[in-house]
Amino acid sequence: MSASSERPSVTLIADRPGPGAARPYRFPQVVRRTVAGGDVVAAHLPGQNLAVAMLLLDAGAGREPVGREGLGGVLAKALEEGTTQRDATAYALAIEALGTELVTGLDWDTFQASVQVPVGRLGAAVELLAEAVRTPRLDPDDVRRVRDDEVTALRMDWANPGPRADAALRADLFGAGNRWGRPMYGDPDSVAGLDVEDVTVFHSEWFIRPGTLVVAGDLDRLDLDALAATAFTGTGGGPVDRGVPIDVPVRAERRIILVDRPGSVQSTLRLGHPGPHRAHPDHVPIALAGTVLGGAFTSRLNHLIREVRGYTYGIRGDFASSRRFGRFAVSSGVQTAVTAPALVEAVGEIARTQAGGVTEDELAVARSWRAGQLSVELQSPRAIAGALSTLVVHDLPDDYHARLREELLGAQVAQVSAAAATHLRPESLTLVVEGDAAVIRDELVATGLGELIDHPPAG
Amino acid sequence: MPDSGYPWPISTTRLDNGLRVVVSEDRTAPAVAVNLWYDVGSRHEPAGQTGFAHLFEHLMFEGSTHVAKTEHMKLVQGAGGSLNATTNPDRTNYFETVPAEHLELALWLEADRMGGLVPALTQETLDNQRDVVKNERRQRYENVPYGDAWLRLLPLLYPPGHPYHHATIGSMADLNAADLATFQAFHRTYYAPNNAVLTVVGDTTVDEVVSLAERYFGGIPPRPDIPPAPDGRVVPATGVPAEETVVTEVPAPRVYVAHRTHPFGSPGYDVVTVLATVLGSGRGSRLYQRLADGERIAQPDLVGAYGVDLAHAPAPLIATATARPGVSGERLAAGLAEVVDELVTVPVTAAELDRAKALLTTAWWRQMSTVDGRADALSRYATQFGDPATVSERLPAWLAVTAEEIAEVAADTLAADDRATLTYLPEEKL
Repeated sequence: MSASSERPSVTLIADRPGPGAARPYRFPQVVRRTVAGGDVVAAHLPGQNLAVAMLLLDAGAGREPVGREGLGGVLAKALEEGTTQRDATAYALAIEALGTELVTGLDWDTFQASVQVPVGRLGAAVELLAEAVRTPRLDPDDVRRVRDDEVTALRMDWANPGPRADAALRADLFGAGNRWGRPMYGDPDSVAGLDVEDVTVFHSEWFIRPGTLVVAGDLDRLDLDALAATAFTGTGGGPVDRGVPIDVPVRAERRIILVDRPGSVQSTLRLGHPGPHRAHPDHVPIALAGTVLGGAFTSRLNHLIREVRGYTYGIRGDFASSRRFGRFAVSSGVQTAVTAPALVEAVGEIARTQAGGVTEDELAVARSWRAGQLSVELQSPRAIAGALSTLVVHDLPDDYHARLREELLGAQVAQVSAAAATHLRPESLTLVVEGDAAVIRDELVATGLGELIDHPPAG
Repeated sequence: MPDSGYPWPISTTRLDNGLRVVVSEDRTAPAVAVNLWYDVGSRHEPAGQTGFAHLFEHLMFEGSTHVAKTEHMKLVQGAGGSLNATTNPDRTNYFETVPAEHLELALWLEADRMGGLVPALTQETLDNQRDVVKNERRQRYENVPYGDAWLRLLPLLYPPGHPYHHATIGSMADLNAADLATFQAFHRTYYAPNNAVLTVVGDTTVDEVVSLAERYFGGIPPRPDIPPAPDGRVVPATGVPAEETVVTEVPAPRVYVAHRTHPFGSPGYDVVTVLATVLGSGRGSRLYQRLADGERIAQPDLVGAYGVDLAHAPAPLIATATARPGVSGERLAAGLAEVVDELVTVPVTAAELDRAKALLTTAWWRQMSTVDGRADALSRYATQFGDPATVSERLPAWLAVTAEEIAEVAADTLAADDRATLTYLPEEKL
C-alpha cells in the first residue's frame, strides 16, 4: 500500500460504446379461446413459477350512473365480505392460504379482479375469484359498513394534496354534469349517498356477464378450459354496446383554478385540456409528443422545472385516453415560493412544443425509450396480464405489441411535431393550483396566464 | 417445500481492484438488469451531515468525466432502459434494465461515475440537487398527513449516536450546510470498487460480463482504508417505553407500535418476517381480524405490520392502525398493543402459519419474476452476507419457521416495556 494520501490514478475508457447486435423482439405467444360463453386470452410464459389470472368485466367507472360515483369501488370491497358459500373470514383465510389476495381494480373502461399465485395453485385461486365476483353475499349490513368505511378511506385520501386538484381539473375539462367529469373513484359525498340497492343492482346488471379471463403463466402447467369453465359458470347476458367517442368541447381561453390548502409548503399543479380517445389514428405520434414534453426523465418539463430551476422533485405530463375520451395533463408539486414562475414556465414549455414541435435528438430518445420499455417492463406475469388486458379492452390483435414497437421506431419528426401542433392546446389549458391561497393568490393573478377562479372550499 | 429460492445459475468473480462481479444468466427475455450496491448509507453519516448519502445519490446522475450533465438519464432512456437509485440506512444502490444489446453502455456509464465523478462535480450542480432533495423532503415527508412518521420513529427506537438514529432524508439544516469539498471527499472515501458489488442478470453470459467489467472498471483503483460505520449491533433495552404524541393536521388518529428485533439475514429476523405476516398482512391477519373486522375500531385499508429489512442492527418491526370515526387514539393504541402482546400469549395456529408462508412464497417469486428484482437480491446478498448464493436460503428459511419460534422471538423482542409508540391526533377544531 502506498503511504501517500493521494489516490492512485484512475483509468477510464473515454469512448462511449455503441449497441451490440439487436435481439429480436418477442411478445409471449398469445392464445385465445371461447369457452362456456366467455373469452379467454392467455400468454405462455414457459418456466415461470408465478401465474396471474384476471377477470375483466365491462363494468368500469363509465358504467356508473351520474351521482353514483364510487359504486364500483364499494362493490369491489363488498365482494370480500362473504359469499353464498362462506363468511368473510373464511373467505380471507381460504384465498390467502393459496398465497394471494383478491386484487380488484377499476378504470373508466373495465372492472378487474385478479389473483397471483404459484402456478400449481391457479385453479383453486380462480375458483375463489369466481366465487366472490359471481356469488357475493352482499348482506345489507355489510354493504352499508363497507360503504361507510369507503367514505372514511376517501376522506383520508382527500386530506392529501392532489385529489381535490384532480377533481377540479376533471370537472373543468369534462363538465361535472357528466359521469366522466367526476372523479373516477367518486368522492366522499357521492359514496356516502349510495344505498344497498345501488350496489346489488349494479352487481346483477354487470357482474354476472361472462367477461374475459386473462391468464399469464406457464400454459404447459395450466388447463385453460378448466380455468375458463370455473370463471364463466353461471354467467349470462351478452356484451353490451360500448358507446361511441364523446365529443368534448375545448375552452376558448385559459383559466386558473385556485384550490386553497392553507399552510401548504408545496403547491400542487394540475394542468390540462381534453385530448383524443384511445382509438384515434394519431395515437402513437401523440404518445411520443407527450413523452418528449413530459414523459421521460429527460423531458422538456422535467429538465427545465427540476434540473435547471430546482423548483420540484419531479414534473410529468402525458396524454391519457380511454375508449370514449382522453386528456392531456401535467402534474407536479412545487415549492410554495416559486408557484407562479413554475406555472409560467410550464405553460411556456407546452406552448413552445405546440408551436415548434420536437427535435430529431429528442425524438430519438423518446422512440427508443418507449420501444425498449416493451422489452424491459413486460417481464412479470402481472405486467404481461396488464398488456393482455390492453388487447382485450381496445380490440387489438395478438401482434399488437410487436407492431407498436415498429410504429414507435418508425415515427418521424414531422409526424410527431404535427401531432404536437394539433393536439396540444396551450391557449385552452385549465391550470389548477392547490396551495396556500393567502400566499400565492396575488402572484397567480399577476402572471396574466388567465382568469383566476377560486374553487369552493371542501365540505 | 422448495430446496432453493433461486433456481438460476450464479457466478461471482472478484476483479483485482476488489470489485465483485455477480452474473446470473437467463435468456428468457432480451433484457439485462445492471445493479450496483455501494456499501455506504445514512448509517455512515456523522452528526451534522445527515442526508448526505442520499444527496450524493442525486449527484451521481449529474455527469462524470466522460458523461455530460443530464446525459446519463438521456443515454439510458434513449437505449430503451429504465433506471433509478435508492439510498437507505444500510446502502446506496443504482440500477438500470436495458435491452440486452445496450449492456456495454450501462457498464460504461456506471464505471465512469464510479471512477470519475469528482472532476465533473460543480457547485452549481450541488446547489441545484440540494434544492431537488429539499423538494423531495417537502413532497414526501412534510406536505402529507403522517408523512414524517418514519422520521419520528427512528429516534424513538435508536439512541443518539446510533447509526439508525437519524433518517436517510436528513435535516434541512444539514442539507443547507453541505459544501462541495465534503461531497468530493465522500466520493473518494466510499465510491471505490472494493466497496461495491456489480450484478448483471438476464440475456448475457458470464464471460461477456466479466470481460466488459474488466475493461470498464479495471482501471479504477481500490481504496485501502474505507472507514466503517459506527457499530450498532447492540442496542441496550431501556426498560422504559418510548412514547410520542403528535397533535397536528391529520384526518384521524393513527398509532404506530415499533420494536427493535433482529438484523435482516439472521435466523431471528426470518422468524420476525413470518411473524409480521401473521400479524399484519392481508384480511386474514390478526390485526385485520381483531381491529378492522372484530372490534371495528380500525380502518380496514390502513391496518398492517411489516419488518424493515435492515441488516446492520436490530431491525424494526412496525405495526400500525388508523382509527375509525369516533374511536379515540387511546382506545386504538390499547387495541393495537393488545394484539401485539398476544403474539406471546396466544400461540400461532397451523392455519395462521400456512397462510403467512403462502403469502411470503408468492411475494418471493414476485420479486424473482423480473431480472431487475433478481439483480437487486443478488447484490444485497453479496454486499451484506459476502455470498450472493445465500439468496437461495431465504425462502426455505421462512418456510421452516415454527409457531414455537414465533412465540419465543415475540417474548424476547416485543416486550411492552421496550416498545416505541407514536400517536398522531387531529387538532381540535375550534
